[in-house]
Amino acid sequence: MDFAMQPDSEEMQVFRREAQEWFAEAMKDGAHLKFSANWSTRENEEEYEFRRNLARKVGAKGWMFPVYPREYGGGGLTVEHQMVLENEIGKYGLTLEHIFYTLARLAVPCIFTWGTEEQKQAFLPPLMTGEVGCWQLLTEPQGGSDVANAQTTAIKDGDVYVVNGQKTMVGSIHYPDFFWTLVNTNPQGARHENLSWIYIPGDLPGISRSPLNLLMGRKNTVFFDNVRVPEFYLVGGENNGWKVGNTHLELEHSGGGSLGEDGLVKHLIQYCEETESNGAPLLEDPDVRDLLADVLIGSHISALWGRRNWWHRYAHRPHGYGGTQARYYSRMRRLVVAERLQQILGYHTLIPNFDVPEAIDFEHAARQGPGTLHGGGTLDTDRLIMGRRMGLGRPTAEQAPITTPGSSEA
Amino acid sequence: MDLALTEDQAMLKRTVADFMKREAPPTNITGWLQGGVGYVPELFQTAADLGWLGMLVPEAYGGAGLGLSDCAVIFEELGRGPLPGPYFSSGVLGAAVIAEGGSDEQKQRWLPAICQGEEIATLAINDRGYSWGPGSVEMTATDRPEGLTLNGTKMFVHDAAAATVLICAVRHGDGISLALVDMNQPGVSVTPYKGLASPSLGEVRLDEVHVPRSAILGEPGQGWAALERALIQAIPILCAYQVGGCQEVLDFTVEYTRSRVVFGQPIGRFQRVQDHVVDLVNHLDSARWITNETIWKLDTGNEAISSVHEAKAVASDGYYHACNYAHMVFAGPGTDYSHPLVAHMIQSRSLYQYLGNPLYHKRMMMDYLFPRALRS
Repeated sequence: MDFAMQPDSEEMQVFRREAQEWFAEAMKDGAHLKFSANWSTRENEEEYEFRRNLARKVGAKGWMFPVYPREYGGGGLTVEHQMVLENEIGKYGLTLEHIFYTLARLAVPCIFTWGTEEQKQAFLPPLMTGEVGCWQLLTEPQGGSDVANAQTTAIKDGDVYVVNGQKTMVGSIHYPDFFWTLVNTNPQGARHENLSWIYIPGDLPGISRSPLNLLMGRKNTVFFDNVRVPEFYLVGGENNGWKVGNTHLELEHSGGGSLGEDGLVKHLIQYCEETESNGAPLLEDPDVRDLLADVLIGSHISALWGRRNWWHRYAHRPHGYGGTQARYYSRMRRLVVAERLQQILGYHTLIPNFDVPEAIDFEHAARQGPGTLHGGGTLDTDRLIMGRRMGLGRPTAEQAPITTPGSSEA
Repeated sequence: MDLALTEDQAMLKRTVADFMKREAPPTNITGWLQGGVGYVPELFQTAADLGWLGMLVPEAYGGAGLGLSDCAVIFEELGRGPLPGPYFSSGVLGAAVIAEGGSDEQKQRWLPAICQGEEIATLAINDRGYSWGPGSVEMTATDRPEGLTLNGTKMFVHDAAAATVLICAVRHGDGISLALVDMNQPGVSVTPYKGLASPSLGEVRLDEVHVPRSAILGEPGQGWAALERALIQAIPILCAYQVGGCQEVLDFTVEYTRSRVVFGQPIGRFQRVQDHVVDLVNHLDSARWITNETIWKLDTGNEAISSVHEAKAVASDGYYHACNYAHMVFAGPGTDYSHPLVAHMIQSRSLYQYLGNPLYHKRMMMDYLFPRALRS
């Protein structure tokens, strides 16, 4: 086995230097920014503009989707290049997938896998190059985890689909260019055989939204009132949406993996080194050390499973329950971390610190514990999916779909 | 990055799996457990003949001189049994201590014999089992011109009855010496434990036992440092054995969720039951991936000491809890001594303590990562 995340061939060393220089230049004007977390209300216009422009620059290089073909806006590069790029942008507290708030990371693999050639050429380049942003719309007020129960309808009328209904718990502050949306195209049809995915331009008449003020920031309810969407925008075939959704959900359920580092834990250790209590640094306190040991180990397990899933994804290895496992574990762990933080830092956990990036701020982590237990399905949904993927009580285990271009070399 | 076994390793894994299927199927394992058998000499000899005991020992001393990752493949499969016997205690740990601490003459004397299964070397470190680390070594050697005289009891020695030689940690002068005690000499007696202890655990009593000066491993008083170096190499292999145990427990538990039908459906259809298996597999994969990464670090010369401590904490904890979750699924039948789960549960409890429990290793991990200015 080889766990190295830094490919060290000569070619990759040259590429890493190129990437380092490029990011140093591109990030220069944002050096003073303390990036906010996803869909946070902390994000100001200056930060948004910076990140929006950065995405366009990274996208123009093909680096937002390095392993996708160049003709669709990808980089046409290898998995090793992707590893280098993820490492380099990670140093600035960003990921390739979340330079700004967009869920292109979910829409792109689905459209790439299920779209027609014309659709791929029309939709993918703007998404992959960061020209447009996109929200995913799945959850409905009555649906929750029961995604297949989508009641937002898209009914064929000539050469358009007429969309009516509402989606909730979606998006962020800044309105997107497109919605990647699960709709019901056959209200009388059988469950799982009545769904479709449609890529809806955000500026069509009949779309409105209202804000939701949530523990983790800003989400929205989006309303569709007789929105007429050209039929060209329906991806993957009418009533084939449950299969298309398989690609989507695998990635949403952490099947994509990650190579990231846990900045929060680093920050916590540093804080405990620098902060004295009872005449000694917190890090010298035996009880604090015991608490930190559990935090470190949990963080390490999460990172290793992220790395495993990342490798499964890009090396196209058989993959079963790993995605949901990582998601379930990281969510449960965030609750534990939130409690550990209070045990170590007391009241200080409850006060935000605006001098650090939000993702490593303790108050954010304390909110995140209960605040992100649910996105993309509850903890119970996670366990349900794991059960299926392990084949509990069933003759065989379900496999995850291949979601991403790649090769057996990673 | 490549997180798969190499082709050679995959082949080795199949070979060991076939060996286990043939020689140590669950019915044999449970039979040995019920008979109090902690060691099957014929199997041990077969494993020695196959070269599985000297994987990490340099070729110059009769071993294979391979990396940990190959060795771990073997021990993961043995852990699936769980196969009892001094495979790890002698073939990995005992050999490593002698390789790290012994003089060239001592290595020539002992290592080839250990690799061939002719000698079985097991460790006795702490006297009473309440703690680990140098402070737990209480037995004090009496220094005589011709050597050392040892008196006292070492509790909870793994594979005590199987061993031909005991690597016994003793207080000696200002330090700790490792004395090689011939288990067949007068004054040495072994009493196996009863109860939940693994059948391979025994209490070793030393009564006026004389050890010649030539049987002190390496430099007198310098034993602990050699032991620490050996433990760093050996512990991940023990973790792999525990991972194998977790994997076997998962596999037969998943199978049970398919075959056991109550209320008209397989129990795996019940979400409460699924929850237990989810918890089980999370423990398995925690242990597996931390162990794998630790082994990779050691094999590639990366700094790994804190990872070794972390791996032992997580693998011991994982095996322990994997068995607990399996017990939740199996209920009554899983408590029968003829059920393989009982063998795993019993093994998991003794391995939880072996070479230091999770709390000890977590603290070692922290002390290594963040040395304390004021040691209390």
